[in-house]
Amino acid sequence: MGRGAASVLAQAALPRDITLWEWWGDAGSWTGPTGILPSLLDTLTLSGTVMAIAVLLSVPSAAVLAHLGRARLLSAWLVNVGRAVPTFALAALLVPLSLRAGYGFEPWPILIALTLMAMPPIYLGTYTAVSGVDRATVDAARAVGLTPREVLLGVELPLALNVILTGVRVAAVQVVATEPIRAFLGGDGLGRYVRDGLGQRNTTLIVGGAMLVAALAGSVAVLLTGLQRLIEPAGVRRLRATADSATVVRGHGSRGRGARILRRTA
Amino acid sequence: MTDANPLLRWDYVVDQRAAIVRAVLEHLQLTVLTVAIGLAVASVLAALALRTIRLRPVVSATTAALYTIPSVALFALLVPATGLSRATALIPLVAYTLVVLVSAILDGFDQVPLDVEEAAEAIGLSVRRRVIGVRIPLALPVIINGLRVASVTTVGLVTLAAIVGQGGLGRLILDGLRRAFWTPLTVGALLSIVLALLLDAAFVLLERRLAPWSVRERTVAVGRRTVD
Repeated sequence: MGRGAASVLAQAALPRDITLWEWWGDAGSWTGPTGILPSLLDTLTLSGTVMAIAVLLSVPSAAVLAHLGRARLLSAWLVNVGRAVPTFALAALLVPLSLRAGYGFEPWPILIALTLMAMPPIYLGTYTAVSGVDRATVDAARAVGLTPREVLLGVELPLALNVILTGVRVAAVQVVATEPIRAFLGGDGLGRYVRDGLGQRNTTLIVGGAMLVAALAGSVAVLLTGLQRLIEPAGVRRLRATADSATVVRGHGSRGRGARILRRTA
Repeated sequence: MTDANPLLRWDYVVDQRAAIVRAVLEHLQLTVLTVAIGLAVASVLAALALRTIRLRPVVSATTAALYTIPSVALFALLVPATGLSRATALIPLVAYTLVVLVSAILDGFDQVPLDVEEAAEAIGLSVRRRVIGVRIPLALPVIINGLRVASVTTVGLVTLAAIVGQGGLGRLILDGLRRAFWTPLTVGALLSIVLALLLDAAFVLLERRLAPWSVRERTVAVGRRTVD
């Protein structure tokens, strides 16, 4: 992936008057060094790596700190600052540093910037979920003799899992949706067609490239939402289903005045 | 021996200060315009959702779906229609603020205590005065927090609008990359990061000023950008 500053990026070149169907209909468009499939794989590899690093850095630290009830203010502050820093600007800032250190345009600048973008939602989701676990449940777990470690791993994390996964899903969709900026920072990936299209004033490349990028983000969002349903522990799901149906039986929707009274009295 | 292409060359910065100031102003202008239009559109959408409860999930789902469209894709998709114009940058930027602003307005109105609303009704305030005099002020902290998240996100996305020829500081970044001359890149990137952080801090102060009672709650309810 790393290449020197001097080398020129391979550009996807298409005739200006080609239609979308001619581009996508040609098997040659999908393979080869500037093909759609290798670019897709490239994007997925980078996004997957980013997510793995972000989850490993965020979930354990947030879970332990929330379990101990520590660093609440510091966490809130870090999450806010992390969200405020613009990803594109941060990645750009790292490009010359990476080049001067001899690591090339990729992968470090975009990898670091995307990881820092992915961490706040995961960290926040984990922290709020673990610290939001019902006190009475935790106390009961302690009372029956579970060690702090067992309370965290066996009670708090399973109950918090759904919210944690929501944070991971939101971050993952955001990463896949933002990864294409790397094409504008001396890299490749699925964003390359938009870049090349803008450079060559080729509308088919611009629109088709944008549709590929959007389709990927949409598919990842749908796929992860489905996966999240599958992963939730059966016991927790039953618990939630019971709570939901109880609300329905009592004639309260999730919103509106009735629900607000319910929430207020809860 | 001197480095011809360091990360930052001060003589170049001094030389180009007029262009840099212009880029910052352009960046701010686009940000303010985006958030202003976004707030106007979000207010209408939120009013619709509050008035007709059945529209609420529709509004939430639509704005959330808009937010999921990758920024590179949305900027690019508009190029055939609106060219490399300001509209090409503004439309996606406004679209991305909606999810944050609409849910901030709705959450803000939701958390107004029922007793207060009922008291306002009981002392005979008109609907208009109940909204303007009671509900909006009480919803303000949440709305300001939404404006904060929207503005800060917009500063970052304006940088990216440079790929369609707009967006002040982003153009310095792309210019630096194209020429492999790091000074404009460093200046553009550093200034947009600083701008985002300053704006974030400015909103915290604004909130403290306008709704001093919310400071304690704010630190707990960390700004929500995520879609539920």
